[in-house]
Amino acid sequence: MKMHIALNKRLRISPLPLVLLALMAIAFIVAMLRYALGIGAISNLSNAYPWGFWISFDLFTGVAISSGGFLMAGAVYIFELKQFKPLLRPSILTAFLGYIMVVVALLVDLGHPERIWYMMIHMNGTSVLLEIGICVMTYLAVLAIEFAPVVFEGLKWQKFAHFIHRFIMPFVILGVVLSTLHQSSLGSLLLIQPAKLYPLWWTPILPILFFTSALTIGLSMIILESSLSSRYFKRGLEVHLLEKLAGVIPIVLGIYLIIKFGQLAFAGDLKYLFTSGLMSVMFWAEILVGAVLPLLLFSFKKVRQSPRGLFYGALVVLLGMILNRFNVSWFAVKHPDPLSYLPTFMGNVHYIPSLPEVLLSVGIFSFGILAFGLVAKYLPVFEPEENQKE
Amino acid sequence: MPEINHKAFLFDATRCIDCRACMVACSVENKIAMDKTRIWVAGIGLKGEFPHLVRASMVYHCMHCNEPDCLSACPVGAYTKRPDGPVIYNATKCIGCRYCMNACPFGVPHFDWDKGLLEGAFIDKCTMCPQRIDKGLEPACVATCPTDALVFGERADLGKEAHARLQAHPGRYVDHVYGEFENGGTAYLILSHVPFAELGLPDVGTRPVKDVSEEVMGFTIPFALGWGALLTGTAVAVHLVNQRKAAVAAEKAEKVEQPEQAIK
Repeated sequence: MKMHIALNKRLRISPLPLVLLALMAIAFIVAMLRYALGIGAISNLSNAYPWGFWISFDLFTGVAISSGGFLMAGAVYIFELKQFKPLLRPSILTAFLGYIMVVVALLVDLGHPERIWYMMIHMNGTSVLLEIGICVMTYLAVLAIEFAPVVFEGLKWQKFAHFIHRFIMPFVILGVVLSTLHQSSLGSLLLIQPAKLYPLWWTPILPILFFTSALTIGLSMIILESSLSSRYFKRGLEVHLLEKLAGVIPIVLGIYLIIKFGQLAFAGDLKYLFTSGLMSVMFWAEILVGAVLPLLLFSFKKVRQSPRGLFYGALVVLLGMILNRFNVSWFAVKHPDPLSYLPTFMGNVHYIPSLPEVLLSVGIFSFGILAFGLVAKYLPVFEPEENQKE
Repeated sequence: MPEINHKAFLFDATRCIDCRACMVACSVENKIAMDKTRIWVAGIGLKGEFPHLVRASMVYHCMHCNEPDCLSACPVGAYTKRPDGPVIYNATKCIGCRYCMNACPFGVPHFDWDKGLLEGAFIDKCTMCPQRIDKGLEPACVATCPTDALVFGERADLGKEAHARLQAHPGRYVDHVYGEFENGGTAYLILSHVPFAELGLPDVGTRPVKDVSEEVMGFTIPFALGWGALLTGTAVAVHLVNQRKAAVAAEKAEKVEQPEQAIK
């Protein structure tokens, strides 16, 4: 990363933004092909697998990793834990960009992206997807309001910033309510597939499990994002704050594990734990990496207090919990056996995401990283270091 | 079970000769492109050892559930259920999210994967030919079936007919009418001489798969209001407590300062 390409003496561009821009350009071409030729032309999605990598990665993972925003907003404004203020703006920015990425991805994945607003005029109250759609749209607006003071301060329009600040409370509360709703109802989205989702994952309390795990994902994302941006922007790391967040993670993970295994025992599904072949492997991978390992790691004060410990602890939570999202929305979903009833011309019998499919998601993610870097560089997202205690 | 008073199909796998005339009739009637279909015949091929060979095929199209899961799942209400049976998809509302395809336990709705933005990619599925029903005709697939493997009529009558066939030939059939109670009852009743799973029919139970999903959705509004009120209350309480703490701290500070003033 030390290498710089000098276009002239004033303008120095490091290679990372250029790589990100190139990835975005590729994704743009893929999206244009999709709009011209259809989803089937660039993806391996089929009638047997109507949802795939985009839904698992862009929607399920994208929403989950954006949960830090409402956590910090709630902590700072509702619980007046003012010491977390340095983490507030980066978390809200992460959430804001995260949701923008979700919406951009959906605009590619939807068959009729130009009709996305139909959700506001033709409402079907029994649809979980409607609830998620409305919550995400509204929450995006709330995040824009929560982030607006940063923009106004950057523009030196202090009056506007103060004005929004004065009326921020209702929006914070609305944001927390909306987040609670759609973080949990992403789990409810799978409730309609009792016959398709493997019993190790399908349970009526999926929304509760989703919300609980989203809390750990949000906390870990704040830690990871702070670690990365402290490295990239060469700033100090707020270890004294991150340590407190890391201390909460084992508690939430403990609750998560109790609910998860309690539910399996209650439903009589413990028998699947070791006897389901690949499904058992996926289950244990998710539980051990995403819950048990970080629970143990973050129980040590040494781990919580070292930048490396924080980084790797948060990383394993994210890896395991993202695997959970992939399991629930893809790997553990078995559609009716297409071999037995689908004419072969109607769909791929097996689903592995195509390269353009993955490139599209990579491009959208690159946009998020680049946008975070630019916004953090030119707007007052991070508190000036001299203001920080320690 | 409450009697479902509407039209239905009865399919008898022992009568199907795998001629696929129903597929042709459907595509002609509904003007379906050559590379698409709303109905398909799935054969399981030959099973068993000579001379005891078994052959079966299954005509597969929308089950027209009494309580359609696609209708429940669609965020924009693009599905409707006519009182006389047909589950109808309305392309003018569809946003192309394909949640209906996930919701349907039978894998019925299909999507135009090869259509771009300008052509318009939509869901397609069997409609039960309402245009023919309204004229007093049978759906195209039924009208063309040469062996009466597919018949059409009032659901109640067909249920009786199915049970009559089971009783008349107990050795011939698997003793079950698939669709009578499956997924809350469907408008497609199926008789078979091979296990239903071999025909590609899922084991879905008698509760519509949408039930749990809808129950959970019912909590949404009360939960949102309660959670919002609780958060508001918490915010106010925390603020008051913090104010009080600050006031107490200020008072203490004053008390500390006062003696100093007295000395002065």
